[in-house]
Amino acid sequence: MKKMNAGTRLERVVAAGHFALTVEIGPPRGANPESVLKKAALLKGLADGYNVTDNQTAVVRMSSIASAKILLDAGLEPVMQMTCRDRNRIAIQSDLLGASAFGIKNCLCLSGDHQKASAAGKLKGHPGAKNVFDIDSVQLLAVLKGLRDEAVQEGGDSVDQAVPFFIGAAWTPLSPPLEFRVHRLAKKAAAGADFIQTQAVYDIAAFARQVAKAREMGLTDRVAVLGGVIVPRSAKMLQYMNQSVPGVTVPDQIVKRMADAPSPKQEGIRIAVELIQAMREIKGLKGVHLQAIEAEEILPEIIKAAGLSPRPSV
Amino acid sequence: MIIAEWKPIPELVSMLKGHKSVLLVGCATCVAECAAGGEREVETLAPLLRMALKTEGVSVEIKRKTIERQCEWEFVEALAGEIEEVDAVLSIACGIGVQALSERFAHLPVYPGVNTTSLAIREQPGLWTARCAACGDCVLGETFGLCPVARCAKSLMNGPCGGTRHNGMCEVDENVECVWNLIYERAKARGELQKLYEVRRAKNWSNSAHGGPKRMLREDLRP
Amino acid sequence: MSAVEKQGEYQPEIVVLYCRNCLTPGIDPPSGVLAAGGIVAKYVPMPCSSKVEPSHLMKILERGADGVEVVGCPDGQCGFLDGNRRADKRVTRLRSLLAEIKLGEERLCMNRGTRLTSEALFALAQKRARAVAGLGPNPMKGVNR
Repeated sequence: MKKMNAGTRLERVVAAGHFALTVEIGPPRGANPESVLKKAALLKGLADGYNVTDNQTAVVRMSSIASAKILLDAGLEPVMQMTCRDRNRIAIQSDLLGASAFGIKNCLCLSGDHQKASAAGKLKGHPGAKNVFDIDSVQLLAVLKGLRDEAVQEGGDSVDQAVPFFIGAAWTPLSPPLEFRVHRLAKKAAAGADFIQTQAVYDIAAFARQVAKAREMGLTDRVAVLGGVIVPRSAKMLQYMNQSVPGVTVPDQIVKRMADAPSPKQEGIRIAVELIQAMREIKGLKGVHLQAIEAEEILPEIIKAAGLSPRPSV
Repeated sequence: MIIAEWKPIPELVSMLKGHKSVLLVGCATCVAECAAGGEREVETLAPLLRMALKTEGVSVEIKRKTIERQCEWEFVEALAGEIEEVDAVLSIACGIGVQALSERFAHLPVYPGVNTTSLAIREQPGLWTARCAACGDCVLGETFGLCPVARCAKSLMNGPCGGTRHNGMCEVDENVECVWNLIYERAKARGELQKLYEVRRAKNWSNSAHGGPKRMLREDLRP
Repeated sequence: MSAVEKQGEYQPEIVVLYCRNCLTPGIDPPSGVLAAGGIVAKYVPMPCSSKVEPSHLMKILERGADGVEVVGCPDGQCGFLDGNRRADKRVTRLRSLLAEIKLGEERLCMNRGTRLTSEALFALAQKRARAVAGLGPNPMKGVNR
């Protein structure tokens, strides 16, 4: 068996050849840990890793480090998300060292949503904020790899010991320019990514074509790609995602199914299960990243119905 | 060119309240090109300001003058006479012009009439778009002549984020083209896509504002 | 002294800047001042409505006119391709500035017309006068003379 980078459960599951499952736990817009703990209790033991977002859509929430630590203490293994929007390379590395000291070992490296996104919905957000973007997501991967493999900071100074991370990145396989997307994945793999969580996929055929290209380039052996699934809740939500979320295309028949369903909730669960099952059939895919935005309570049922429960012991 | 846009007139009115006589100074260079601070704009803004002050019940005399360049001492010097007759200056040049005036005429308040926003090009009549961020470490040689620092909302250096819309526009602003999509298209047209496959390491920002206020010294040109 | 001050009673002063091509062919282009029906209309004929400069329009208001009416040809009928549309866009921007300074956007407006008679032009001046009636006299009246 190949040498472990950080030895996290997610890493071990992937290494053992099991179909991995990660889910998402969004931190609250407040300081109360209860909502994190409630979601943790609901989902404990059901997934191999629990993504904790870093001020997703640039909306201020409890920090991903603190939320990840709360999960860790509750016995769940977090995938801490880290964006480049709010911190320069000094703050990022400092936070990574701190997170590691807490025992956080999975880290997903993102450029981050632009601060304008914070005011796109119902919230005021902070569209007047100054962003940082000192480095981008690919460069962030290289920073983590340097800390882990060479015990060296981006600037060249050493750290006292290697910092163990299982390094993750995002991939939007279906955004234009389509032809470049697989090379963007290759860049992330080259920079240091061990695993990939993709943007939500509804168009399985188009996704499978992109994964096949990645497989031909040998990328799916170098990084563990987990396909993104967001549980549909209504036809309206799917239409919104289709129109307004770049990189997400929703085939008409899925929208129609949701529109015609007597119970959109049950239909959404069925579609999610089907998407997971379809992804299991895509050669080179190593797992799924499952999200039910602000509706985590429906996840256990989906996970069981998709045959992803119980999780393997590794 | 440097581009700028008018501040809201009520903001200008609140600056000018309490003064007796103000010299409104235009600049015939960049801000004239972007229709914010040239002579035409001086001639439009002056009556607007007089009317705005009047509707507020305030009486301030507005004098007008446009000089060739507010960022060069020789041209700034030409204001010395008019400056004697006023107790404040409102400059509608870029931030450099405002500071040149306030440095030369330090005894008077010099107010900015515009917000300076960017280094841009006139893409079409009536449309100016950013082209340069003065980052101090030009990458245009590797990005096919299209700047990701100035033109990508996240200044990404390794290709487009997932936010490229299906029509090639940016997720942050549907009216702005995803510059990485443009870079890709140009690289493809030149048959040099492989240049974009290389991982670009973290950039050195120290030769720009991030390294502290820029100071460029050329001994050979010094007196 | 303007016509307004002579009469001692407020009569809205409306400056009508119009494109000559909007008129019925053959009629004498109205010019000068016409005081009638409780308003004072001042006519300024132009070869094209696009001749209006933002600074000119603002100076007319600064000098105390209560309303400014710009008259151009209908869309697609400009003798200089799209001079009328360009004038319209300038007027639109200036209207928002007039609103910003609380002088009232209705003090400036652009209308389109073709084969207009002198009476039709005067009717546009009256329409502008009605639109500014609620705003009262231009506060700039009598200032900076």
